[in-house]
Amino acid sequence: MTEVVAGPRRHVRLRATKEFFSRLFERVGAWVGVAALAFFLILAAIPGPIVGPLETAATASGDFLTPPDSQHILGTDEVGRDVLNVVVHGARISLTIALIATVISLIVGTTVGITSGYYGGRVDVWLMRLTDFFFIVPSFVLALVIAPVFVEVIGRGREVLGFRTSLFVIVVVIGLTSWAFVARLIRSQTLSLRERPFVDRARVAGSSDLSIMIRHVLPNLVPQIAANGALVVAGAIYTETALSFIGLGDPVQPSWGTLLSLAQQAGAASAGAWWYLGAPGACVLTVSLAFVLLGNALDDTFNPRRRAIP
Amino acid sequence: MSEVFRSASGQLLAVDGLSVDYGLKGISSRALHEVSFDLQAGEAVALVGESGSGKTTTAMAIAGLLSTDARVTSGEVRYRGARLQIDDDAAMRPHRWTETAVVFQGAMNALNPVQRIAKQIAEPCMLNGMPREAAMTRAKELLELVGIPPDRGTAYPHQLSGGMRQRVMIAMALACRPSIIIGDEPTTALDVINQAQILKLLVELRSKFNLALLLITHDLSVVAETCDRVMIMYAGRIVEDGTVAEIFAAPKHPYTRLLIESIPNPAKRQRVLRPIPGDPPSLITRPPGCPFHTRCPSSMSICATQAPALESTGQRRVACHLHSSQMKSDGVLVHA
Amino acid sequence: MATCGQGGRTSRRIGGIVLRAIVTLLMVAILNFILFRVIPGDPAGLLLDGSRSAVTSEQIEAQRERWGLDRPLIPDQVLDYLSATAKGDLGYSFKFRGQRVSDLLLDRLPATIALVGVAQIIAISAGVMLGIYAGWRRGGAVDTIATGGSLALYATPSFWLGMVLVVVFSTKLGWLPGYGAYSPGADTGSLAWLADYLRHLVLPASTVALGIMGQYVLVARAAMSDVVAEDYMVTARAKGLTSGQMLLRHAFRNAMLPVVTLVTLNLGYVVAGAITVETVFAWPGIGSLTVGALNARDYPVLQGVFLLLGTSIVFANLIADLAYGLLDPRVTQ
Repeated sequence: MTEVVAGPRRHVRLRATKEFFSRLFERVGAWVGVAALAFFLILAAIPGPIVGPLETAATASGDFLTPPDSQHILGTDEVGRDVLNVVVHGARISLTIALIATVISLIVGTTVGITSGYYGGRVDVWLMRLTDFFFIVPSFVLALVIAPVFVEVIGRGREVLGFRTSLFVIVVVIGLTSWAFVARLIRSQTLSLRERPFVDRARVAGSSDLSIMIRHVLPNLVPQIAANGALVVAGAIYTETALSFIGLGDPVQPSWGTLLSLAQQAGAASAGAWWYLGAPGACVLTVSLAFVLLGNALDDTFNPRRRAIP
Repeated sequence: MSEVFRSASGQLLAVDGLSVDYGLKGISSRALHEVSFDLQAGEAVALVGESGSGKTTTAMAIAGLLSTDARVTSGEVRYRGARLQIDDDAAMRPHRWTETAVVFQGAMNALNPVQRIAKQIAEPCMLNGMPREAAMTRAKELLELVGIPPDRGTAYPHQLSGGMRQRVMIAMALACRPSIIIGDEPTTALDVINQAQILKLLVELRSKFNLALLLITHDLSVVAETCDRVMIMYAGRIVEDGTVAEIFAAPKHPYTRLLIESIPNPAKRQRVLRPIPGDPPSLITRPPGCPFHTRCPSSMSICATQAPALESTGQRRVACHLHSSQMKSDGVLVHA
Repeated sequence: MATCGQGGRTSRRIGGIVLRAIVTLLMVAILNFILFRVIPGDPAGLLLDGSRSAVTSEQIEAQRERWGLDRPLIPDQVLDYLSATAKGDLGYSFKFRGQRVSDLLLDRLPATIALVGVAQIIAISAGVMLGIYAGWRRGGAVDTIATGGSLALYATPSFWLGMVLVVVFSTKLGWLPGYGAYSPGADTGSLAWLADYLRHLVLPASTVALGIMGQYVLVARAAMSDVVAEDYMVTARAKGLTSGQMLLRHAFRNAMLPVVTLVTLNLGYVVAGAITVETVFAWPGIGSLTVGALNARDYPVLQGVFLLLGTSIVFANLIADLAYGLLDPRVTQ
């Protein structure tokens, strides 16, 4: 029976997807966002072929804090590293942290939101209390106290899943503290989905709660998750940059935030070394703006109405 | 009945060949097509049609409240013989509320949620130079007039029931002693009992202050006991115009006939409501010829090509080839 | 109509708001407690003064007793911790030996309040006005520029903006100081000192203000464009109000509802932004205290900062909820 249904349904879904993308790309924001992201994702994927291996103080070839010239397009830093080199490698670190943190955040947020909305009652009340807490206390403030403790627990200088401790901790902590906004949204969607006939039908047919949530409720939440996922990435990049800037990053695997922190410590601003602090900052600005624009375009396409951020 | 009011000297408002277009994303669509009618002092006229028929655009044009994307392409509106600059916001301002007031539909959203109702009623008086104290006293009088205890003036809109809010809207409309009141679906959001009460109140106030009432509605059943005359609109045109008695007893336009037949009538024990088949044409894709021909049970071949003119016989007007003088003389009646 | 019972509803509503605030505050305190116990090594050692090697076992034992660490974690230790916290006893700093955390915080608080306060005033007055105007004249030139600029500001890390401002206005142009809060040698309390302080405040406060302004513009604009589409605005126009009267008498207060909520709720994010900005400008507030504590692993100070931030955020929320009731009669009456 499933095969009989699957044919036309897949066809319908394919057409709906096509239509969705054509409507999405009617928006300028979507184009700008996707173009900027594609650019940075390429940098992040193959930094080696573009600028060579990450330079260190030992392998650095340039003079200290020289302004951009033909040899170093973006100038050099305080130990003579090529700024272009470190910024391109920074793209990899920053984007990886932001994307993994977002995945964690979406998983936690969706789980809490669906559970809360589906079961209701006391479960809902307590989960929402918890969500309220994470909603009003900014991820950055929570991460500020949680991250150093985690680092202490795991131990410095080790590697977990290919990340050095402090980066691993930053990923996990951002993911675990930035889900509240997703949870609220998913909960309210679940509340309305719960009343739909197909959920009743599944329940009458004897499906378990878990299977209803995963097979019937979750697929209908994909639009919300996608649109807000993009906004969560923007938030994660912001938080990561801020945390690294105040010294929670790892200089061995420098993200854009870590580079800004190094620039700050080297006195780049008062030395007028605009290239050193300008390059990573402009990257952060571009990438988070790209995600915000893309998220808004997605949200507009899924439900065309007015929102707080145009 | 309406003959009493229909003397030339009593003419309050004249709409003459008014056409209005809306420009949406460069595509302009015609909302009103050469609409003409007049309104006598103290007369109650209903403007009936489905949504998109142009009845609200007509009302907004008369009140000088057309939105910025609307354009008057032909015709004019005269008030007491003087031409109104209905597409000039500033020029219309002194006219608004003092001459023509509006009772909007769904009074919940038409009232400011964060302002006490007495203040909202008094506001137009103060705009016209009445001192604050006097205006507040007038607001209390008006509340009493519409059957709300004056001390409820300190309430906020959300604290009142739907019927009460509609009464507040009416009190507000009376504030500057206008000559014309436009009721824009004033009873649509209400239950049957409140609906009857609000209509009764409007009828009473109309005779008390000799108000001309233009009642905009999609529901013919509210018209019978409220109005003297009915105009039926379809796709931006007036298709039939006559006294309430004439229209209900002998509708000429097939659309009017279908509208009357679709009113549920408990006396006839009519179980099944008969909706009019088909959808009203959209603003952008108007069919050629008579706009109703695609849904008309009496459609003829000419209907698809030629739009019928609005022809008058005495006070009665109708736009239908079935009744056009030309068709009758030619004697061609071919059913499609 | 339902006049009776309104008082009851209002006090129930306020009761609910206060209860939620207390629950959140408890969560802040308990998280703080848990984090402190999770750190490897004996908390007694940490409590002493941070020089973890140079303590004798007798000292540790004394500390254990003083803090009741030999008693069960729940409920005794939790309750002890909560009651000490409630009394304002936040322990002693590791880095600044023997200094009470509460004293350190109080010492640094005024500078942060000055920074955040001035920034909020600038951001609210400029941002909200701009947003209201952009929403009122949607699609106009001001709207286009304000929206684009706000979106860019919204995506910019504020501390980076601060670095850029330092390069431009301090290093290149030399107009304003970009470091610290005072010039050396000034006479504290004199008028010249105040002028000097304010000169030092310009860049950091502008940075924090710009960092939050984007969001204020966007929210005020969205609120205003919603209000413009409301039926009561048509009523106001029909009544014969001029455009300006419609804006001031009917649109403004309705549009302010979401803005007030945002401004108060946003406090946490403003302070978070200020932490990084203070680092850029070496502004002697809570932010630079935090970063110093972070680098020195001065956990008691970090905890104190977290408690302070958490408490102020919870209070800001409380005020937002109560203020909303005052502004919007639909909530309270």
